[in-house]
Amino acid sequence: MSAPEVYSIAQTPITCHAFNADRSQVALSLNDDKAQIYVKEGREWVATETLAEHDKAITSIDWAPNSNRIVTASQDRNAYVWSQSPDPLTGKMMWKPTLVLLRINRAATFVRWSPNEDKFAVASGARAIAVCSFDAENNWWVAKQLKKPIRSTVLSVDWHPNNVLLAAGSADMKACVLSAYIKEVDKRLVPAPTVWGEKLPFSTICGEYASPAGGWVHTVSFSPSGDVLAFASHDSSISIVYPRGPVIQSIRISTLPYVTLTWTSEESLVAAGHDCQPVVFSGTEAGWGFVGSLDDTTGGGKSTAKGGSVGRLNSSAFNAFRNADTRGHAGGVDVSAGTELLTVHQNTITSVRPFEWGSDGSVSRVSTSGVDGKLVIWNVVPVSVTGKFAGMRV
Amino acid sequence: MSFRKIDVDAYDEDVLQDTELYAPDPREPAQVLSDTKQKQLAVRSALNRSDITSALTVALEGPPYGPHVEEAKNLALQIVVSVLNSTKSTDVPAVLRSLSQDEQDTLMKYIYKGMGMPGWGDVSGSVLLGWHEKLTEIAGTGCIVRVMTDRKTV
Repeated sequence: MSAPEVYSIAQTPITCHAFNADRSQVALSLNDDKAQIYVKEGREWVATETLAEHDKAITSIDWAPNSNRIVTASQDRNAYVWSQSPDPLTGKMMWKPTLVLLRINRAATFVRWSPNEDKFAVASGARAIAVCSFDAENNWWVAKQLKKPIRSTVLSVDWHPNNVLLAAGSADMKACVLSAYIKEVDKRLVPAPTVWGEKLPFSTICGEYASPAGGWVHTVSFSPSGDVLAFASHDSSISIVYPRGPVIQSIRISTLPYVTLTWTSEESLVAAGHDCQPVVFSGTEAGWGFVGSLDDTTGGGKSTAKGGSVGRLNSSAFNAFRNADTRGHAGGVDVSAGTELLTVHQNTITSVRPFEWGSDGSVSRVSTSGVDGKLVIWNVVPVSVTGKFAGMRV
Repeated sequence: MSFRKIDVDAYDEDVLQDTELYAPDPREPAQVLSDTKQKQLAVRSALNRSDITSALTVALEGPPYGPHVEEAKNLALQIVVSVLNSTKSTDVPAVLRSLSQDEQDTLMKYIYKGMGMPGWGDVSGSVLLGWHEKLTEIAGTGCIVRVMTDRKTV
């Protein structure tokens, strides 16, 4: 397995990250009210511009690849759309914000552009999702709110490739699929019937799903075709929903919960979270299973850790204390050897996103950002071909 | 400081109710209680045959949860604790491995409930801690997280 590219961006947590279309720039929020644009120079990422307009912590960033616009959401209940225009004095390209009228009275928690980049959805703590479209007359973005059936804070959203359906995961322990059809924007686009429903006027509820033990839903994601929905919830489980039936495949995991996931093909996905390592799952409607970790947690052969064991409980300090506890000798172990985890990320992974696609259309690399201030780019393909985890399917 | 004691949720019309967070038990409270009493008999006869695995499987099946079933909940805890207490510590790992994931999660719920009521009935802290250690080794920390998250408390 080739080693992941690891970049230590900061000593502070990275709340979220979004790359531009050609992956030469990345927008990050370092757990404060500003978004930073980093440009790749050689082997390093260099901060070039700061997008400062919010006055509370930024919760989510998304970068539209084709229209090259950035949208940021923040706890200050606002979202801004940033686009580049030449500065009148110097002629240099500068990012300028446009106001979005969200009309929410709680924090905005998550934001994503629609596939056609003419709408975006902002999740919020106000039990609503604001679906925003551009109002050319007033030169601002206006929102239509999706309120039913949401009963609590929405933690994540994801767009269906048809630009109409929206999946949402919220703290009321449910993941749901809704229609975000906006007449003014989508008038030429008559949504073709999908497995989720046939007629899809705004705010149609196509389905509501929960995992067996409940748990607020941290992340939702449509498969590349949009026919399957995956969500990860706080009961340390991942659920994959096939709407015909509906068939829900739930995998309970033995480690801490995942907070973010992304599909890499129709039959596999990468999930990451409090366990500090990105993990691959794969399967079909008949059944899903754990494939392996993208992280080589053996610590270069120095430790006895096995793949798939708990990342958090896999540090040399933890092992030293455990040895002292079970074998009763504290002396021989060098506790000062480090509190470092054997995983690449040293703390919770906040976001995993597709980075690069292979020739067959599946995701070949993913990027992760974490509370440890690291940005890491992982190769996805090798896990399934090396056979390292061949016997590990459950 | 009395304002701190005001129940602000009472003034919120669309406050999130506990019942909206999980599917309620379809059985009537009286039905739950009689089911649990029958379970007690089945568990006793299994214990008399010293068949720990089937005793535990029966004890963890269809646990009472939700409101209005306090009596059944306490009885169910008593049943589970009686099984846990009568297991030899060397048999514990094998018994745990034979349980399904559902049963492992339910058992963890009872272990935590028992640890929250030290000295109640036959609850013994050291027995529960022994089971907790072995169960965590087999089912992982995810099992504990599920107990903390699940609103269907036993």
